[in-house]
Amino acid sequence: MSILSYNGSAMVAMKGDNCVSIATDKRFGIQGQTISIEFPKVFQMGPHLYVGLPGLATDTQTVVEKLNFRKNLYELKENRRISPKVFASMVSNLLYEKRFGPFFVEPVIAGLDPITAEPYVCNMDLIGCINEPEDFVVGGTASAQLFGMCEALWEPKLKPDDLFETTSQALINAFDRDAMSGWGATVYIIEKDKITVKDLKTRMD
Amino acid sequence: MALAEICGLQDFDNRKFGNNLFDDIGQYSGNFSHHINLAAPPFGNPADLHKFNKDEAGRKLKINFDHGTTTLGFRYEGGVILAVDSRATGGAFIGSQTMKKIVEINDFLLGTLAGGAADCVYWDRVLSKQCRMYELRNRERISVAAASKLMANMVYNYKGMGLSMGMMLAGWDKRGPQLYYVDSEGSRIPGKVFSVGSGSVYAFGVLDSGYRWDLKDEEAQELGRRSIFHATHRDAYSGGIVRVYHITPNGWVHIDNNDCTDMYYKYQEEKKAEEGK
Amino acid sequence: MAAVLIADYPEPGFSFENCKRNASFVANGFVPPKATKTGTTIVGITYKDGVILGADTRATEDTTVSDKNCQKIHYLASNIYCCGAGTAADTEMTTQMISSQLELHRLNTNRVVRVATANQMLKQYLFRYQGYIGAALVLGGVDSTGPNLYCIYPHGSSDKVPYTTMGSGSLAAMAVFESYWRPNMNEDEGKKLVRDAIAAGIFNDLGSGSNVDLCIIKKGTAEYLRTYDEANKKGVRQASYRYPKGTTPILTTKTSNIDVHDVSITYVEPMDMS
Repeated sequence: MSILSYNGSAMVAMKGDNCVSIATDKRFGIQGQTISIEFPKVFQMGPHLYVGLPGLATDTQTVVEKLNFRKNLYELKENRRISPKVFASMVSNLLYEKRFGPFFVEPVIAGLDPITAEPYVCNMDLIGCINEPEDFVVGGTASAQLFGMCEALWEPKLKPDDLFETTSQALINAFDRDAMSGWGATVYIIEKDKITVKDLKTRMD
Repeated sequence: MALAEICGLQDFDNRKFGNNLFDDIGQYSGNFSHHINLAAPPFGNPADLHKFNKDEAGRKLKINFDHGTTTLGFRYEGGVILAVDSRATGGAFIGSQTMKKIVEINDFLLGTLAGGAADCVYWDRVLSKQCRMYELRNRERISVAAASKLMANMVYNYKGMGLSMGMMLAGWDKRGPQLYYVDSEGSRIPGKVFSVGSGSVYAFGVLDSGYRWDLKDEEAQELGRRSIFHATHRDAYSGGIVRVYHITPNGWVHIDNNDCTDMYYKYQEEKKAEEGK
Repeated sequence: MAAVLIADYPEPGFSFENCKRNASFVANGFVPPKATKTGTTIVGITYKDGVILGADTRATEDTTVSDKNCQKIHYLASNIYCCGAGTAADTEMTTQMISSQLELHRLNTNRVVRVATANQMLKQYLFRYQGYIGAALVLGGVDSTGPNLYCIYPHGSSDKVPYTTMGSGSLAAMAVFESYWRPNMNEDEGKKLVRDAIAAGIFNDLGSGSNVDLCIIKKGTAEYLRTYDEANKKGVRQASYRYPKGTTPILTTKTSNIDVHDVSITYVEPMDMS
């Protein structure tokens, strides 16, 4: 068993028309045993900025603390909101610093630029190699299934409502084929003037 | 003739050439006709088979065959209850959510599957045939004790060679309701309450706290259902639908199938209503 | 060690604080995950007026294609670019760091940096880490000495060559070069040759794929041709799999509005660098 699949997780972020989505499952387990079904893995880092940290749960929590610390220092020093792109570089640097003793997380970032409101999604591997595609990113133990769902479902210029359905269905149908993730899901739809957070009704086995 | 004798040709059996083909067919498709003889590797001690599960670089060859289950069975006043989930997993991948883990061997005999799916299905099929043969030869149904012993003896021949199965055999025979546990290690244990599989610990938690000998039929069925349901909720490798069977003096009855998702939200509602009171 | 209430400000350089813990994971039988590899075809040639670098755009994580259009030709200086193969994070971070060192060097010396300098910095850095930084590089540029092309191995050795290939598709690409490369080719011939070499990698090596990127460096100019050739056109999806609104059952919805009180944009004049 891989260290990344010790706790189990599934995560996806998609670009839409002037909006982005990020969705996650809620399971925290120890191998086959489900411990909690309300475990946070996606964190708000700014009004329009979210980061998801699928992987080893202990590192999810450590890394989010470290990121908050660095992000706060940046915002105090610069006296402005951090942009998603800069934040991605910050995450990448944090992970690469531990190149030879990595944190076992594969971050997913979704947000809108604080000034231009440009949609942005990216993910990276556990040592911080950034991947910035123009459609979607995935992460976690169900990533193979998510790749398949997203390649089929995603299309350009999805409006927030359609983006929600596409993201949710991609996630639900992916983790329903993965034993290690699921047990509820949360979807964040990020628009310029509002954030919508929806809890989904999913399988609980 | 003399020359042939000098050359020793009288011992030469021409037919052997012709028979090679049939021998080969016999050997390579042996378990069509001889299904309790599995093809063993043509060398040394077959029990050393695990040494060959490595590739040329010494890495372990990973075979993710279907695994992971919750099954349970218990005897009570009204017969035997069997309840199982329906998920088949290969590693973390869910291969099926609708697998039938209860095998209907005959009208009075049921078997449950846990462990290697292929092993269980294969040996249950062999057992079905053996039981039918017994019936035809002896003009009466096989007892559960005898059936379970057949099974245990068959798999015992392959002990240590990698078979993986933990099954329950349940039925009603002359001596009343019967429940046996049989596994690939060779164990064969009669008993009142069993649960087998990765989710068995969770199932036992519910089952043991609710079990009584004098349960009503509906209570017993609901106990089996709930035990499996709670196991599917906590165990990642169990899930899908809960199937409940009841063995009565007149043979087995399939009670119902319930999707775990429906059950979760139904129980959730009931709990909320209970709290509201 | 800072006080308990004040977190340490991160120290520069690699941190090894997780190593012991991670080693214990491995000792307990948990497989460490694989990092993204470029699984690459990268090439470079010299031609009459300069150098041409080429790369495919596939990144892989084990057998999964994790990025279908990544950039493998990295900027080092206005006259130097560098293709990277191997562990994707290593090539990315190594070239970024050397790039900043080269810029400081340029500002200190007030001269156009030489390719030999970049080569020396890269190989010294890689040698220090004994091959553990998995970056195989093709370095090309034009300076006062003319066109220069180097290939640098992860352990820190390097060759100065007229044409070279690297990565898992290097054999396919080198077959093209060995057949068709000539000294003093013109630009169009050079571009075609590099495209063909990358295409050979894309089609014959499973680790390489997607598109062809080129970078043409001549005296005074560098031209980055991102997606010079789309070697693999994706099929057009015939049907839409869009779900009707309301398909997904929702338990709770929470909407929070963001009020934008005022927007002020300050334009900063760039620093005078001349």
